[in-house]
Amino acid sequence: MSTEFTEWLRSRSDDQLRALVTVRPELITPVPAHVEGLAGRASSPSAVGRVLDRLDRFALSVVETLVVLPAPVDHRSLRAQMALALPEGVAAAVLRTALKETVERLRTLALVYGPQNALVPAPGVREILETPAGLGPPAVEVFRHHHAERLAELIQDVGGETGDTKEALAELLGVQEIVERLVQDVSPQARSALNELTWGPASGRVPNARREVRAATAQSPIEQLLSRALLGATGEETVVLPREVGLFLRGGRIHQDLSPVPPPLDGTGRDQAMADRTAAGQAFAFVRAVEELCERWSVDPPGVLRSGGLAVRDLKRAAGLLDLPEWVAGLIIEVAYAAGLVAASGSVDGDWLPTPAYDGWRVKSTEDRWVVLASTWLSMDRVPGVIGERDERDRLLNALHPDLRRSAAAEVRSTTLSMLSAAGPGVAPSLESVRERLSWEQPRRRGGQRDQLVEFTLREAEQIGVTGLGAIAVHGRAMLPCGGGRPGAAASALAPLLPEPLDHVLLQADLTAVAPGPLTGDLRRWLALSADVESTGGATVYRFCEQSIRRALDAGQGADEMLSMLERHSTTPVPQPLSYLVTDVARRHGRMRVGTASAYIRCDDSSLLDEVMADRRALPLRLRRLAPTVIASKTSRATLVDSLRGMGYAPAAESLDGDVIITQLDVRRTEGQPSPRPPVTLNGPEADVVAAAVRAVRAGDAAHLARRLPVDAPEGQVPRSPATATINALREAIRQGAQVWIGYLDSQGNATSRILEPARMEGGYLTAYDETRAAVHRFALHRITGISDIN
Amino acid sequence: MGSPAMPRQPYTSQPYPREKSVTDGPLIVQSDKTLLLEVDHEKADECRKAIAPFAELERAPEHVHTYRVTPLALWNARAAGHDAEQVVDALIGYSRYPVPHALLVDVAEIMARYGRLRLEKHPVHGLVLTSTDRAVLEEVLRSKKIQPLLGERLEADAVAVHPSERGNIKQHLLKLGWPAEDLAGYVDGEHHPITLNEEGWQLRTYQREAAEAFWHGGSGVVVLPCGAGKTIVGAAAMAHAKATTLILVTNTVSAHQWKQELIKRTSLTEDEIGEYTGTKKEIRPVTIATYQVMTTRKQGVYRHLELFDARDWGLVVYDEVHLLPAPIFRMTADLQARRRVGLTATLVREDGREGDVFSLIGPKRYDAPWKEMENQGWIAPADCVEVRVTLTDEERLAYAMADSEERYRFCATTPSKTRVTEALVRRHLDEQVLVIGQYIDQLDELGEHLNAPVIKGETKVKERERLFQAFRDKEIQVLVVSKVANFSIDLPEAAVAIQVSGTFGSRQEEAQRLGRVLRPKSDGGGARFYSVVSRDTVDQDFAAHRQRFLAEQGYAYQIIDADDVLAGD
Repeated sequence: MSTEFTEWLRSRSDDQLRALVTVRPELITPVPAHVEGLAGRASSPSAVGRVLDRLDRFALSVVETLVVLPAPVDHRSLRAQMALALPEGVAAAVLRTALKETVERLRTLALVYGPQNALVPAPGVREILETPAGLGPPAVEVFRHHHAERLAELIQDVGGETGDTKEALAELLGVQEIVERLVQDVSPQARSALNELTWGPASGRVPNARREVRAATAQSPIEQLLSRALLGATGEETVVLPREVGLFLRGGRIHQDLSPVPPPLDGTGRDQAMADRTAAGQAFAFVRAVEELCERWSVDPPGVLRSGGLAVRDLKRAAGLLDLPEWVAGLIIEVAYAAGLVAASGSVDGDWLPTPAYDGWRVKSTEDRWVVLASTWLSMDRVPGVIGERDERDRLLNALHPDLRRSAAAEVRSTTLSMLSAAGPGVAPSLESVRERLSWEQPRRRGGQRDQLVEFTLREAEQIGVTGLGAIAVHGRAMLPCGGGRPGAAASALAPLLPEPLDHVLLQADLTAVAPGPLTGDLRRWLALSADVESTGGATVYRFCEQSIRRALDAGQGADEMLSMLERHSTTPVPQPLSYLVTDVARRHGRMRVGTASAYIRCDDSSLLDEVMADRRALPLRLRRLAPTVIASKTSRATLVDSLRGMGYAPAAESLDGDVIITQLDVRRTEGQPSPRPPVTLNGPEADVVAAAVRAVRAGDAAHLARRLPVDAPEGQVPRSPATATINALREAIRQGAQVWIGYLDSQGNATSRILEPARMEGGYLTAYDETRAAVHRFALHRITGISDIN
Repeated sequence: MGSPAMPRQPYTSQPYPREKSVTDGPLIVQSDKTLLLEVDHEKADECRKAIAPFAELERAPEHVHTYRVTPLALWNARAAGHDAEQVVDALIGYSRYPVPHALLVDVAEIMARYGRLRLEKHPVHGLVLTSTDRAVLEEVLRSKKIQPLLGERLEADAVAVHPSERGNIKQHLLKLGWPAEDLAGYVDGEHHPITLNEEGWQLRTYQREAAEAFWHGGSGVVVLPCGAGKTIVGAAAMAHAKATTLILVTNTVSAHQWKQELIKRTSLTEDEIGEYTGTKKEIRPVTIATYQVMTTRKQGVYRHLELFDARDWGLVVYDEVHLLPAPIFRMTADLQARRRVGLTATLVREDGREGDVFSLIGPKRYDAPWKEMENQGWIAPADCVEVRVTLTDEERLAYAMADSEERYRFCATTPSKTRVTEALVRRHLDEQVLVIGQYIDQLDELGEHLNAPVIKGETKVKERERLFQAFRDKEIQVLVVSKVANFSIDLPEAAVAIQVSGTFGSRQEEAQRLGRVLRPKSDGGGARFYSVVSRDTVDQDFAAHRQRFLAEQGYAYQIIDADDVLAGD
């Protein structure tokens, strides 16, 4: 732990610390006790790795340069070094500005510290950047494990006088003229081998790497290089180019091409208004698809596989139902799941069913429903795009499978879309240019998985309607952190783009009804009941047929009611064949009656049944006389038998033969747990949390530095205060950064009193600096008996 | 992470002018690639013209017409010189709602597939397949079906094709999704003077356009609705070709009609026109053959194939392309060097072989503006009335107990129908009425009740012709004909047709027969088609199919109760 770094961190202003923990929120979860703790956490490998991952290529190059150059580095020599790799056509002034800004940013991130003339990479950085810019380790490292005799041989062959230490060898390799001569000495094949390694990776594999050959007897190109210490063995079969040699071969440059400007986003120009319209159309279709899926699953749910996913067959069926490709169906299902609209019903052989949350979602306006889905998609860690692929153990990844999660998913989505947003209005950047830009923006995250995620993001964004024609839509942009991340703004941007619900349809003699747009809720529900959907899209085509009319009649509609509904919602007269159909089906409907009875009483003696019907105790059985000798009941057979026995009769249960049981389609809901929602960190932590955390660190640090002794609490009991008052007072104290005196029941139930500087309150706990114990502690809010000002 | 040199544009809530997302266009694009056109919309006509080249009309009921965009329709559009941009513009320009991007991309991709491969004439090798896209050529060369049809590779982008496989290769390439453009030209055939003889009549504008569009395109299909004068378009095409012509028609009746029309409309005389049918085997400069005789086999051999080589035909005319039987397709594959014109009312085939029509006859060259023609009075759809007869209680019981194969016969010939038919005939006392049925007993009974002659399968040809002539001369007002008769003879036209039993066959046949049987009344009123149907029986189920089809074709349709007919009597 570098005390310099800690001291430097301590010297930062509160604003600067706040800026630090805002961009590196992982440093305050949980809040460290003092600045030393903060410094320790900031230089831990995982934290350094995370922050390096977020650097763009230029900033990363600056850090790499600082790592390669001997510390501390003067700002001017840093610039000189970087200017070597500046591509043609980029003015030195651009580098100057960019470098100044970047170094400042790296300071903010606590990756670089020290004054302008002595910049030092933060502790931990060097360890993470083992091969900065693809350079090998320094010669001292490479030849660390060579024994003295071998080192002496190498030094001789390199051209040194005497010496048998790795430092001496490293010193020789640091001299440009010596390396130049050595490189010229070797054969062309050996030189081309060096060229292979120059721009990284700096290591290669050869058999028997540790052979101890001399320059005079060296045969193969590799032997020539090994004998002159131009390559060093780091393992039985690995050789590496020492950093000094690498730097020479790179002509003193560290990077090959180092543009301070990101590559431009190339793409097709789009009419932004058209892009918005297209995206809105897609948004509408997506919302409707989710609804259609949930409605279908309400009555006909697919089963949960033992592995936890959805069967391929069921995915295919959903795709068929929605008239969409399977991957889009997968996307719809995954988003619905992540949004908590569907979940597995609890039992072992469960079904995928809509949740009660779906009922709440369903009644919202289209734009609000879209916002729910789009924000879920943006923040979810599940990747629908990999459905149908196989995992490393060659198991098929089904939709809704637990292994569909990728931790990078949400961030890649957000970054990719920010990229689209940055391209400006009406530009649809190509996949390649987005990928290229991303590998400039986050070079350390480069890789097959990210490329795949970017591709998924672009095609899914188009389906969901975040983008239209490949360009980010106005409502899509509002959802992004860079566009404000305001779902409300997104909804109000989307609303005017959506078609107005209509209250009429066009009725035709071929018994179809065409709804030339979305319908108002009532009409839509009525049509869904009385007609079959034939095609969807901008319009919906419904077809009336005998079965559909009968379905409506079954649901309690009357013929007159249906005809007047048709007349009311049609702009043209109702076609005669349609009204004929309705009356004709109604004419026959109900001539035969079918009911549901769970049990019946049959008795040849009708007077006995009269008796039962008249009995007051039979009321709860909800009996109905179907015929003089038959009574139907809504209660179960067992209940009925028991009750009749209780009433003093001697009924016998009858077998099911001849008993008609009609099951009804029940709309089912699960009480199961909706999918866990990943914490939304795209927008960074809230400002007040940051402020409180910094205050807590400062407070802790003050205590830590002063090595204060615990302060005794004032004598006497803290006055008891009501819980709400306590919480309000704590909140106020957090806001002001003030100290308070509280009464607290410790874990043994003893009443204690403490002086606290509260930092934050969440999840029923208060995090505060405890003056009486000189440490940061967490306090259960329900155990705080009272609160009072310190004075 | 902000980049230093390129400050990002701050986001403003409305950086560009916004317009209403929903236009007032007449077209709605559905996710299943159907297009809904609101016909009463002021821009409907304009829009119809714009989409007709690349979308097939599927249904045409009164308010909203349904078009379907299929790969073939898009390729037809390409063959007619339309490009993807025009298609996309038409969709976006007339669409009321945003068109899904995926659909637009799809359209562009599919259209780009046509013409990547071309069949061209080669001075040395006769016929070559060339490509503007080598990857495509490589892809099709790998196909096992294509390989045997090809000769040597001439250049990187050209492969020789066996001239006899010109049709086959086009069929296979279409199946692979890379339809080839056939630019290899045609033989002129044996010259024969044919001119149109426009005395007392004139070629209608659309008929002239259709013939010219075909001639310009080389080969292909002309789509015209029933009754729009397809025969005359054929005659005009022949006048363009001025060469010996082989005409293939569906049946003998049609062959007669063609012959009469050609004598009437062109310079051809009776001697120049031969009939090649079941009874006559004449081969003349213009020869009319039926599909039936061409597809007759004896011991597995098509016996009349030589007809195709009997003369050096300069033109082959296919009537009713959508009914073209499979063997004719195979024969046509060998005729690719001759000009071919197909005539039809619809490109939709019930067997789904639209692709073979496209590759073997040719792309669609002309599509008539149906609505305009209707407005100009060239075609007149009939009014259709379905009369529902309620069975008596005894009949219902008997129907319920009948064997399933006897059920249709039972409900179709119920005695109640006879009374209703009589009442209907009485309604149209001074009009020519045809009564059509399937079951002879029923027809005989009807003939007795109506006091009308009955024509059935066993009726002698002479007797038939006498009766028909009498009917045409209005000496007889009511004629009862069986379905069998209806198929084989030259049925006269009537203002009223009453169908008491039987279906006409496939849905398409039904529409065609209706178009043929029914002509507008002399006073300009529409013709009327009654079908008498037993309520709550399978008869009614058949009627439901008929109703849907006729309504989709744009016929007015209504259903009335038999009691109303009887009461109004």
